[in-house]
Amino acid sequence: MNWSDWAQNFLVVAGIGFVVWIVMHGSRSDRWQRAWSRLRRDKVGIVAGLAIALYLAIGALEMIQIPTGSGGSATILALLLRGIPAEDTYSAPLASTSFSLAKPKPLHGRHLLGTDALGKDVLVQTLRACRTALIIGGMTSAIYIPLGTLFGIFAGYFRRWIDDVIQFTYTVLYSIPEILLLISILLVLGEKSLGKMSLALSITAWVSLCRLIRGETMRQTERPYIAGARALGQSHWNIIIHHLLPNVMHLVLINLVLGFSNLVLAEAMLSYLGVGSPIGTASWGNMIDGARGELSREPAVWWTLTSATAALFGLVLALNLLGDSLRRAFDPKRG
Amino acid sequence: MFNYLLRRLLYAPLIIAGVMFITFLLFFVVQKPETMARNILGKRATPQTTYDWLHKRGYDKPLFFNVGQTRSAPDGHPFASRGLFDTVFFNQMWKLATFDLGVSDVSGRELNEVFREGALPSLLLMLPAYVAGFFMATGLALYLVFVRNSALDAAGVFVCVALMSIPAMVYIIFGQAVVALSLNYFPAFGFELKDWSSMRFLLLPVSLIVVMNLGHDTRLYRAVFLEEIGQDYVRTAQAKGASNSRLLLVHVLKNGMIALITFVVAHLPLLILGSLLVENFFGIPGLGNLLINAIHTSDLAVVRATTFLTSILYIIGLTVTDICYALVDPRIRLS
Amino acid sequence: MKKIPNFRARSLVGALGVCLLSACSNDPHSAPLHTLRPDGSPWVVRYSYLPDEVRSLDPQVSYDMVSRMVLEPVQDCLLEYHVMKTDPYEVVPCLLAAMPERTLNADGTVDYLCKLKPGVLFHDDPCFGRPGREVVAGDIHFSFQRMCDARNACPVFANLAEYVAGMKEAAEAAKANGGAFDYDTMKVRGVEVLDAHTFKLHLLQPYPQILYWMAMHFTAPVAREAVEYYDGKEHAGEPGTRPLFKFHPVGNGPFQIVEWKRGQRFRLVRNERYHTTVFPSGGWPPERAAVDAPLAGHALPLVDEVQLSIFRELLPIWLLTRQGYLDRMGVQKDAVNSVVTSASELAPEYAARGMKLEKAVEVSTFYMSFNMQDPLLGQNKKLRQALSCAYNPQGFIDLLYGGVAPVARQLVPPGVFGFQKDFQNPYGFNLEKARRLIAEAGYPDGRDPKTGQPLEITMDTVAAGAEERQLAEYEQRQLEQVGVRVRVIENTFARMTEKLDQGNFQIGAGSGWGADYPDPENFFFLFTSTNFPPAGQNTSRFKNAEYDRLFAQMATMENSPERLELVKKMNALLIEECPIILHFNKAYYLISQPWAPLTHLNMMLEGGFKYLPIDQALREKKRHEWNPVSRWPLVAALGFVGAALGCGIYVNRSRNV
Repeated sequence: MNWSDWAQNFLVVAGIGFVVWIVMHGSRSDRWQRAWSRLRRDKVGIVAGLAIALYLAIGALEMIQIPTGSGGSATILALLLRGIPAEDTYSAPLASTSFSLAKPKPLHGRHLLGTDALGKDVLVQTLRACRTALIIGGMTSAIYIPLGTLFGIFAGYFRRWIDDVIQFTYTVLYSIPEILLLISILLVLGEKSLGKMSLALSITAWVSLCRLIRGETMRQTERPYIAGARALGQSHWNIIIHHLLPNVMHLVLINLVLGFSNLVLAEAMLSYLGVGSPIGTASWGNMIDGARGELSREPAVWWTLTSATAALFGLVLALNLLGDSLRRAFDPKRG
Repeated sequence: MFNYLLRRLLYAPLIIAGVMFITFLLFFVVQKPETMARNILGKRATPQTTYDWLHKRGYDKPLFFNVGQTRSAPDGHPFASRGLFDTVFFNQMWKLATFDLGVSDVSGRELNEVFREGALPSLLLMLPAYVAGFFMATGLALYLVFVRNSALDAAGVFVCVALMSIPAMVYIIFGQAVVALSLNYFPAFGFELKDWSSMRFLLLPVSLIVVMNLGHDTRLYRAVFLEEIGQDYVRTAQAKGASNSRLLLVHVLKNGMIALITFVVAHLPLLILGSLLVENFFGIPGLGNLLINAIHTSDLAVVRATTFLTSILYIIGLTVTDICYALVDPRIRLS
Repeated sequence: MKKIPNFRARSLVGALGVCLLSACSNDPHSAPLHTLRPDGSPWVVRYSYLPDEVRSLDPQVSYDMVSRMVLEPVQDCLLEYHVMKTDPYEVVPCLLAAMPERTLNADGTVDYLCKLKPGVLFHDDPCFGRPGREVVAGDIHFSFQRMCDARNACPVFANLAEYVAGMKEAAEAAKANGGAFDYDTMKVRGVEVLDAHTFKLHLLQPYPQILYWMAMHFTAPVAREAVEYYDGKEHAGEPGTRPLFKFHPVGNGPFQIVEWKRGQRFRLVRNERYHTTVFPSGGWPPERAAVDAPLAGHALPLVDEVQLSIFRELLPIWLLTRQGYLDRMGVQKDAVNSVVTSASELAPEYAARGMKLEKAVEVSTFYMSFNMQDPLLGQNKKLRQALSCAYNPQGFIDLLYGGVAPVARQLVPPGVFGFQKDFQNPYGFNLEKARRLIAEAGYPDGRDPKTGQPLEITMDTVAAGAEERQLAEYEQRQLEQVGVRVRVIENTFARMTEKLDQGNFQIGAGSGWGADYPDPENFFFLFTSTNFPPAGQNTSRFKNAEYDRLFAQMATMENSPERLELVKKMNALLIEECPIILHFNKAYYLISQPWAPLTHLNMMLEGGFKYLPIDQALREKKRHEWNPVSRWPLVAALGFVGAALGCGIYVNRSRNV
């Protein structure tokens, strides 16, 4: 655990703090309070929210380091799970010998979800991968949400050349196939790391948010209260911070939740293309990527794929459902 | 109207220029042409053969501006310069602008020919998938709107979200393992373009693409239709006593279609690119597969040309969509 | 828009699906060109694969394994490896009527007198105006000229020009001429054409390895008509452009290319007029006699058509082999280890199918490189030795090669002169010794005594896929057994090359060398000080005067006890200095189908297709057995869709009326 890991963890905590801040900040407005009262009655949304909280908790356990004496340190999750022994190679869930027709060897312990090629417990790997997913989602969001929101508001509010420049930039970025852009940026950045992956993802992710916010801002600026504020001689900055921002914040929140799910899926995709998480990082994408070869074995190794897919599916599903619920809560007519 | 059209058309070349600049930056900064040459020429490449390779492709020139710096041959023989703009960047841009895509860096084949060959398999894969997917998603979305606000609707939306939450690779791995290998219905791999029997290569990939996109599209279309249902004219029709099914199939479908078709048209040109993952998994020699291999073998010429073509296609789609919108909805012309 | 017959349309699609399925098959191959031969006997096809697209089929240019796999059946060389003799490997005449006659001249130069077999014909091709003409000595001279032509960028020009007289001069002449090589005037002095079938090769100094070069396609005859005809340009009266020569080689081998679908497939068809070689009448190992003896003296090739599909990934190869659609596969990477049991036997399920398993060791050695110019590793021999002792290649081999590849204990692989069967690497895996050595190196328990922290070493690797990532992790864990910390840096292939070129790394994982020819010179040259990157392959940047001196002495000697002594000395020196961690000799299992018995296992050949027979009737039968199609899942799926629809319609009715 070096400084970059700390920085990553810090950014994620900052990201979560940011979300809390958005919610706290927004909760003062009527719209948010109405939405909250609707959300409370939405059972699906509540369950999804709880599920996300669970993922966050597991991820947090893997992020926080505590010293273990003798100068080293380990994450809480690692300490909790340290009783699980390592094996040499594959073993099936709950099997008592390693998974091989050739030389089945007795195992050191039982593994609920089996072990992978290097004998690591799949359940542990799956849980540890929560951190990777959260770092990718959290760090990327922490970069692209402020950028997308501000640029969107600027473009929609100031119009003219600012709008032209911002529109031009995102149309150019949007015209390049997303995967190509991601891969080439990651290749330029060199040595793999989660931070770089977040950076690349945020370069492509801000575009859609920016477009959304720009449109909404344009609609808002035509409303009388903005004209009123302007007539009263309020500064641009004041108008943006006190009038526009609160009125688009709910869109940001919805986009954040739905975008998070896309980022988690994107990590899996990039890992498949060989520009994903670095070696030694537990990640669902890496696990699914390995499954191609594993499934072709005789008999097939299915548990890695299944565990990773299930965990990934759970998080993405919960995020999508919560996003839907939020949308419904904020805009009952359209949801 | 004419003004609007003109503006859109003038905007397009600007965007393309922007795209070309970014791709050039990304792909010539990624790795030096020398490195690429050595990879391609193999284990016994000498400085001389490397230089010849570079020289043949014009990669021995300066990158942006030719202000006297020369990269000379091992024997000290500088390249023949033709002025300030005789550089890799400007030569590349000029070639692309005149639709001379050049030759592949790895195989040395004419790219115009390569793309022509790859476009057909990609279209054969994507077009049926797109059309079938469109009709299925529209049908399902209409159905969900039909039974809106019921448990069936909620379940349908949940299934859609669930379908969206599964990574594309998992669909493909599963489809290949079960349908092609356990059931022996289709070839697990390969492609041939001859007669109707070639269908056997396409049915499985096409259905996989349909299923992959079904959740997302259905949810989107459902939202569009629901929006339509909230419009005044629907209420008027309802007041006049139109039945639910008539309301949906006549009014809502017709008006919703306009929104959908513009959405669909924008993506139509991009179909020619095929699908990176599906083509790669099933060995379909389309442009998607070409691109993945180009990335793996660092064939920059191919990647560059693909990016260029895609952005042009995308911008064509975008412009056509804008024009469609303008024709359908006169309000847009004013802005 | 009227009512959409939504439900009816869907059931129609379903019905159509059923029809299609019943007409469908899972055969991934293209239909053969014919079903019967002109004489009424069945047309026999072999289905094989290539791991990648072919870049060039120009005999003087192609240097990668994939291109060779296609060139070998198409283009015969002057000599060829005896298909049965593999320990040691042996070259025998192919296009030549006999082995070249060597004369040593007084001035130190050497001549080889070569006689071509008369009546060998090029493939029929429009460039000859249809029927192919006879191969003559002038074609060999033309090939050497093409190697000297810088525009062709022949990758081995520098190697051959060192020895063959006149090659450098010819290249110089072209350079003086503005880079244009004039094939009429710029002759290569070293290839002297005596008559239509006889030529003499002049060497500047003794170079016994020249015989191996004669078994490579660089020196194979090329028809000048073909090169001039296939120019990649448009010609009046012809549709489209002619392909370039490198995409349309005109060979003289047992097969002719009739179709090349880019990125997909090659289709090779028997050359009806091929008589250059026949199936050997002896030399096979006893265990193959049952298959080989009946074929002795048989005309080649043994099949009428070869389809080479391009499979870039391993998975489809295994899948299609399992279904019986490929006639042979190499089980190399990936996790097919459960196909093979610990006793190196096929798993019972596949053995029962009649599949056969063989072990094939390539003439190659793989290793990890230490950077000898690194301030830490380069100066500390004990540290390198300690790391070498800490590393257990066996686990890697078990993971990657299903345990089949032998651990490399010396630089040269088996089958090459100088390989010592019972040699033990003193710095092979031995954890106790590793711990002792690292303490002697000044880092007890792998910790830096000054800081008390573990020593940190970086390892650069290329990790593209999931398996590579696992392997890198394995390597890291192994090296960390002595207490040091290893940081793995993943690179793209290009960046890795760049780092190796610049010497910008500490440990480089995954270096290796596959032999051009089975001679110790082709391995020991790797670590000479004149062979530094980027021009050379000495990625370790190992520089040792004694080693260089021994190499100069050993390189061009004839195989003899003295040469063996020198090889042993060099090997011991290299291992003591430890610029590399020896890893393994690449190897894999070959699984051959019951209808495609393996007649040979010669790793210097790229497949040797002309020697491989197929029992087509048996294949048809087995394929049918192995691919049963069950209909119930389809019926169940349709039933499910129908039920869902019915349910939906019911709900609607009850709501809507």
